[in-house]
Amino acid sequence: MAKVALFVPCYMAALRPDDGGHARRVLERLGDEVQTILGPCCGQPAFNSGYRSEAKSVGRALLRAARGHETIVVPSGSCASMVKHYLPGLWAGPRGASIEHMSERFVEFGAYVAAHPNVAALPLRLPGAVTYHDSCHGRRELGLTEGAVGLLEQVEGLDVRRLAYEDECCGFGGTFTVKEPEVSVAMARAKLEDVASRGVRVLVSGDLSCLAHLEATARATDQSLETWTLAELLDRALA
Amino acid sequence: MSPFRARARAEIEAGPPAATLSPILRKLVADSRDQLATASPSDARARAQAARAYAVDHLDELQEQLKESCARQGIGYHRAATAEEAVALVTQLLGDARRIAKSKSMVAEEVGLTHALRVRGKEVLETDIGEYIVDIEGRGPSHITAPALHLNRARIRELLAGAGEDVPDDDPVRLSRAVRDVVAEFFGEVDAGITGANVVIADSGRIVIVENEGNVSLGVSRPRLHIAITGMEKVVADEEAALAVLQVLAPSATAQPLTAYTHFLGAPEEGRERHLVVVDNGRSEILADERYRDVLRCIRCGACMNACPVYTAAGGLSYGSPYMGPIGAVVSPLLWRDGRHADLPSASSLCGRCSEVCPVGIPLHRMLLDLRAGEAENGGSRVEKVAWKSWAAAFGGRQGRAASWLARLGLRAGERLPGVPISGSRPVPAANPPRDPAMLVPLDSIEPEPEPAAEPLPDDVVAAFRERASVVGAVVVDEAEREDGDRRVRATAAVASTGSVLLTGEAAARGALMDARRIVVEVDEASVVRFPQELGPALAGDGDALILTGASRTADIEKQIVRGIHGPEALVVVVGSGTAQA
Repeated sequence: MAKVALFVPCYMAALRPDDGGHARRVLERLGDEVQTILGPCCGQPAFNSGYRSEAKSVGRALLRAARGHETIVVPSGSCASMVKHYLPGLWAGPRGASIEHMSERFVEFGAYVAAHPNVAALPLRLPGAVTYHDSCHGRRELGLTEGAVGLLEQVEGLDVRRLAYEDECCGFGGTFTVKEPEVSVAMARAKLEDVASRGVRVLVSGDLSCLAHLEATARATDQSLETWTLAELLDRALA
Repeated sequence: MSPFRARARAEIEAGPPAATLSPILRKLVADSRDQLATASPSDARARAQAARAYAVDHLDELQEQLKESCARQGIGYHRAATAEEAVALVTQLLGDARRIAKSKSMVAEEVGLTHALRVRGKEVLETDIGEYIVDIEGRGPSHITAPALHLNRARIRELLAGAGEDVPDDDPVRLSRAVRDVVAEFFGEVDAGITGANVVIADSGRIVIVENEGNVSLGVSRPRLHIAITGMEKVVADEEAALAVLQVLAPSATAQPLTAYTHFLGAPEEGRERHLVVVDNGRSEILADERYRDVLRCIRCGACMNACPVYTAAGGLSYGSPYMGPIGAVVSPLLWRDGRHADLPSASSLCGRCSEVCPVGIPLHRMLLDLRAGEAENGGSRVEKVAWKSWAAAFGGRQGRAASWLARLGLRAGERLPGVPISGSRPVPAANPPRDPAMLVPLDSIEPEPEPAAEPLPDDVVAAFRERASVVGAVVVDEAEREDGDRRVRATAAVASTGSVLLTGEAAARGALMDARRIVVEVDEASVVRFPQELGPALAGDGDALILTGASRTADIEKQIVRGIHGPEALVVVVGSGTAQA
């Protein structure tokens, strides 16, 4: 039985606290012993806005909370990418190297589950049809897409339809959606058209940030859509 | 509200740019990917990146070498430190030249050349079809390789009608030819041609220009005087490096293997003048900054904007700069240090697709992050600074305070983010949205069209050349009867992957080629190479050379291809073994 920490990021804790539970149950069904780190932030919002010293102090608090854990599972590709690719760069010299070493213990949830020795034995079953969207961070910086889609395809009865333009951004972009709401929403609408054209009403992603943006835009434009994290889908498929 | 946001909002309200751009750009991105897979060797991007990286790392040295090569060729070499100097230099070089045929040049846009020359009493015609159209419209280009991309055919017809060119309908063929005729007439009496340069070669002094329409061919051959204006970063070491760049340029820009005409301009003809104006205008400062110097690798292909979802949604005019899209968001605030484009680095969701498609490996989205950090340090709004400080205080400490900060932030309630304005229309995510099992039941779907797999280049290069030359619009035959008005020339070499022929020396003389009814090119089977990068030996020396890839064409109106613009509509390629044609 592996001991892992589950890092439930700030926005997930605020927006969909149940998702932390979904992720936790999936890990437990894999036989892991799970300890939850609830609510810290990786620093990305400030980092992406150019406020690096603020990002650094917030990132430091996360690393402090993760101290002592060998594996920290992150149910958010965007946060995982921030920790692994950008956080170490905020420290110069040998300190940066040691932060990088720490950041290597962070694993994105879908990648962790897909590579888990017990994954093949999971009794996953969920009749229905869904499509999959990956965050740009998950896709380009972490290369997660095929692993996550592989997991979905392992679910008995599930019809997984790929988007026609799956490498296009949903338009969220963190503070981008706040600073450029019109363009951000136009991008979300393009993504939602692609989703609708697949004939599905459930959109699955490794990133709640994209999902929340798309869910909000769908509601504002009267498109019938549910957005599920990969953790939620797997948990429901295990029930 | 940032200037970008204000402009983008106005554009989207006036009619979403994506309605025109999205189908065009999605197809272009897919076609570019295919073109790079089929027309170029697998390491084409790595080669192009290496050629450009070397150039940026040896810029001063290469410019020094270029200066000597130009002197040898009899090409005037001039440096301009600023936009004002560039304009003054060109004005001085033009002397009493009055009618000036200008072709596309991003640096000319950057320094405001056309406008400045008109103010000085020159009659300047934009001879590229897209540039001509946006010149009439008066809002500037919206894309670096397709300036009129934001305009649909109906609007273009209106604009032409307003300029006195009545076209009976909005067929892109007729619209394109109407502009072609205006340009062709202007070339009847012209004093000087101004062009850009895509690459300049330090070793030989050759100026490399790519084009499809034939307006550059006319601009460098009809008038007595040719002035090429270019950024100082466009230099490369040698022909091999130039070919490495060309091999990715057209595939990335327009999903073509090569453009219809690829000019290698050497010494001016007897009695003619050629000048090269090399513009700094802030580039030395970029070169000196480790964070951004690699942006000088840029070959201005526009692949980053083609792939950019922000560009697609907002349109190119929203950037308010001659350089738009991701490259524009990086380079505009670096070239104009007065802060006028300081908001552009924020006009990105940081999705990273730009960096992924960039054929010379510029990490654009990482540069955007650095630019944002620079802006936060040196500029930035006071309210935003205060907001981030309070955020860091909440999340940087022990847990507990963060939750209360989030509650204050009002993510759940959708209240305003302190200090940062949220549009009234921005939808706010719901907390724990409800679930309905029926939602898993599929509806009818539109089946995605299966993508045809890109075919690799066959081993038989002659057969491949024949096939690809036909694809790009050449008529491929085993023999051709002589007809009146033929310009019959012998190719020095041919390229299988692109269906191109290389003409050198007298065969490349543009005047005769442009005046012909047909161009008939004899190709010796033994001279066919696989990829453009193998043309190095055939390009040895420093004389004039021209690569033809199909006949002239344009795609400036809704990216629809119209063949036969300036010069002959027919390119006939006669393939045989050397002795049979002797």
